[in-house]
Amino acid sequence: MEHGHAGAHEVSHDEHPGPGVYLLIAAILTVLTAAEITVFYVPALRPVLVPILLVLAAVKFAFVGMFYMHLYYDSKVFTIFFGGPLLLALLIVLGLLLLFAHLEGVLSFMVP
Amino acid sequence: MAAQPRTLRFEYPNYLQEPRGIWSWITTVDHKRIAILYGVSALFMMAVGGIEAMLMRAQLMVPNNHLISAGIYNELFTMHGTTMVFLVLMPLELGFFANFFIPLQIGARDVAFPRLNALSYWVFLGGAIFLHLGLLQSLGGMPDAGWFGYANLTERMYSPGINIDTWVIGLMILGVSTLLSGLNFFVTIVNMRAPGMTFMRIPLFMWAMLVTTILILLAFPALTVGLVFLFADRFLDTHFYQVSAGATPILWQHLFWIFGHPEVYIMALPAFGMISEVITPFSRKPLFGYPMMAYSLVLIAFLSYGVWGHHMFATGMGPIGDSTFAITTMLIAIPTGIKIFSWIATVWGGRLRFTTAMLFTLGFIVEFTAGGLSGVMHASPPVDLQQTDTYIVVAHFHYVLFGGVMMGILAGFYYWWPKITGRLLNETIGKWQFWITAWSFNATFFPMHFLGTLGMPRRIYTYAPNMGWDFWNYFESINAFILGFAFLLFFINIIWSTLRGEHASADPWDGRTLEWSVPSPPPAFNFATVPMVTARDAFWVRKYGGLGAHGVAPAIAGGAATVPVGAPAEMHEHIHMPAPSLYPLIFGLGVFTMGVGCLLWIRLIVIGGAVTLMSILGMIFEYPTFGKFNPEMIAESALGLDNRKLGIWAFLGSECVFFASLISTYMVYKDRNLGGFDAMILNIPLTSFSTFILLTSSLLMVLALAAVQRDDRKWGAIWLFGTAFFGMIFLGGQAFEFTDFVLQGLKIQTNLFGQTFYTLVGFHGIHVLIGVCWLLVLAFATAAGKIGKDRSLAVEIGGLYWHFVDIVWVVIFTLIYLMRTVKHA
Repeated sequence: MEHGHAGAHEVSHDEHPGPGVYLLIAAILTVLTAAEITVFYVPALRPVLVPILLVLAAVKFAFVGMFYMHLYYDSKVFTIFFGGPLLLALLIVLGLLLLFAHLEGVLSFMVP
Repeated sequence: MAAQPRTLRFEYPNYLQEPRGIWSWITTVDHKRIAILYGVSALFMMAVGGIEAMLMRAQLMVPNNHLISAGIYNELFTMHGTTMVFLVLMPLELGFFANFFIPLQIGARDVAFPRLNALSYWVFLGGAIFLHLGLLQSLGGMPDAGWFGYANLTERMYSPGINIDTWVIGLMILGVSTLLSGLNFFVTIVNMRAPGMTFMRIPLFMWAMLVTTILILLAFPALTVGLVFLFADRFLDTHFYQVSAGATPILWQHLFWIFGHPEVYIMALPAFGMISEVITPFSRKPLFGYPMMAYSLVLIAFLSYGVWGHHMFATGMGPIGDSTFAITTMLIAIPTGIKIFSWIATVWGGRLRFTTAMLFTLGFIVEFTAGGLSGVMHASPPVDLQQTDTYIVVAHFHYVLFGGVMMGILAGFYYWWPKITGRLLNETIGKWQFWITAWSFNATFFPMHFLGTLGMPRRIYTYAPNMGWDFWNYFESINAFILGFAFLLFFINIIWSTLRGEHASADPWDGRTLEWSVPSPPPAFNFATVPMVTARDAFWVRKYGGLGAHGVAPAIAGGAATVPVGAPAEMHEHIHMPAPSLYPLIFGLGVFTMGVGCLLWIRLIVIGGAVTLMSILGMIFEYPTFGKFNPEMIAESALGLDNRKLGIWAFLGSECVFFASLISTYMVYKDRNLGGFDAMILNIPLTSFSTFILLTSSLLMVLALAAVQRDDRKWGAIWLFGTAFFGMIFLGGQAFEFTDFVLQGLKIQTNLFGQTFYTLVGFHGIHVLIGVCWLLVLAFATAAGKIGKDRSLAVEIGGLYWHFVDIVWVVIFTLIYLMRTVKHA
């Protein structure tokens, strides 16, 4: 990691986007949320409900994180600070789901 | 001893001399004084925990003994484990050594957040006292379900007294303290390193502490969630761990060990770091394989999150789960082995000085290796199944935590005591202590391997004669008392040496790191001028760099060698140290009062909450640079970033694990619901509206930030009020939803769906509520003209928290609401 003393770049709020970008992101988030709710109410999409909802939620999450929380503009250190724990959190959720799925016999087909 | 740097008389009082009086200690925010407070508290608790251990050994000395009752024995082993883990090892390593030496080793004048540091101590003290409230006979008794508090023994129906209540709430309070310390030290190491001190130049103790703080930030939230569920079970009559309600006590084990195994490394890694510091000056060699040592620490930390299941082989996780955890557990032996070989290689060929500190370091390597080897043995599920709950496990973790961690701590005491107090600990007493400890420790704990193999279970208060256990139990007990005597010597040494010990120079061991460049004890401001670092082992290079090991060392900036008598009076005047504050103590009192309120009188919760809130506001208003951009500080920081912004991001990272634990519980329990209400009750139109509201509030938040950043205070205030208003609408929606469900009959106690739903969504709601209060403070301050462009950081940090609450809702809305019909979501 770069040491920042010599000529350390001051993170300036001037680097943050203006209201125009924020409004655009808000519009995108609104559309995505509307899409989520629509998908929920369309019976034909029920078989692919989970992947569609997960993708839409992930995109919304990323937009808020990147633009409203300025991860796209700020130091990458912040992305590491947030992304690392987020990855660990996902692994914990997955790990627990798998372990409990076994407990309930859902994964029994995987056991030789 | 090698050539010493020129040591000139240092004319300024050290941190122990000024300011004077009890009040100066109560209000101190100096990391060194706070370290002393931690050290004294932890040493007292060490004596308490040691006496508890000897009482247990006295009981087990002979078969059919009735010196103490079974109930008291349960309390003893519970409090011995809890005390040693939470009130002795961690406070000594983090609160005492790390607190004292992080700034000194990285060339900083204090930690990133001095008030938070003091606050952590007072909360810790409150938690420690709270854990022992059961000693008051009128309140019942001490915790008695083991330091791991396995459910469902901890449920109200099996532990009806106050015993477990003090344990649950006490650990929650201690968790707050540890988390805040971890956050503080993490930001300090990352961002407050002296110029030139890159990550590959920091002392290995700093690497160990950096990794340890990451472990704290990402491990403690899982314990917090587990404790929240247990608290709810005991106080709100929920059934998170009760099979009769469809739940499973195994959930507690998962949450506890997701925290618990990283916790082992939270205790072990600082000791790794400490002996890495001690071993080099006494081997007169640089540390062998520094980069690999650093990478190994990181790898250990990473793997430590994937091994929790090896504590649970006996619960029946199945072949896939068992195999996965066995492999990851065996893998962790690789980086640990790298460290052990590196220490041996450091010693190899060195000109060894067998000081007491070095003896304890060598003792650490031998005993920890023994404990590590039995750990590899436990990694095999079929072997582990035979050993679970026998004395082999007791032997294993005492080899790790006493033979390893405690020996590392003792090495640290003998090594750093002269820097802390200005006096050397007595070496003769120290060496007696070491040899008595080495013998009695092994004589106490090694035979436990035999007893475990012979089938003696853990946690039994007595046993029948003629089971083949009599001799070894008698032998262990005698040696446990001898071990207690060794610690008595240690306490005598500390007291005697502090009062009459030999005065120490600034650099008594010919050290390699920056703390040895300042006087012993250091002045309050640590460094008169911030040191420039040009290489690893910064002080050693300064001393001998161009002149060879026997040359006269050049002066080092900021150290005892460079502060000429009388010259730097002006220099001292320009150093601004944080002002003392009483609010951290008030905060600690508030938290403690809330805890007592849970036990005794619910109104105390309100009073404690008010006191806590008052202390937070007090800290904000007494802090003149709150929210201000500090270009000087940013320019001097290691990463060119603001500490406060780094702090909030680290906190949000920790929150990810908190919500992940809550969300996983909801998903795991969703399909275990035993009838009645389920996710189909969820009101999608209402929450869709709430989702739009919350997303819109995020837009208003960034507009507020943009306005404040361009110094438009009027619109900044308007947008902030708007954000808070939208937040309140969201909360109103949630209140309506909850009220509607309750009126329909779905309460938090109703079934698994009710308790997991209310807990998850409720905690999100609490976050929103905190955010709304925060926003209102910012909005009023902006409207009053207090927050403009120069203080826009305050809005930015509040905004980051608000957006985080928003994205957590994005996840909750999808997984809990929109995917309500999905099985095994």
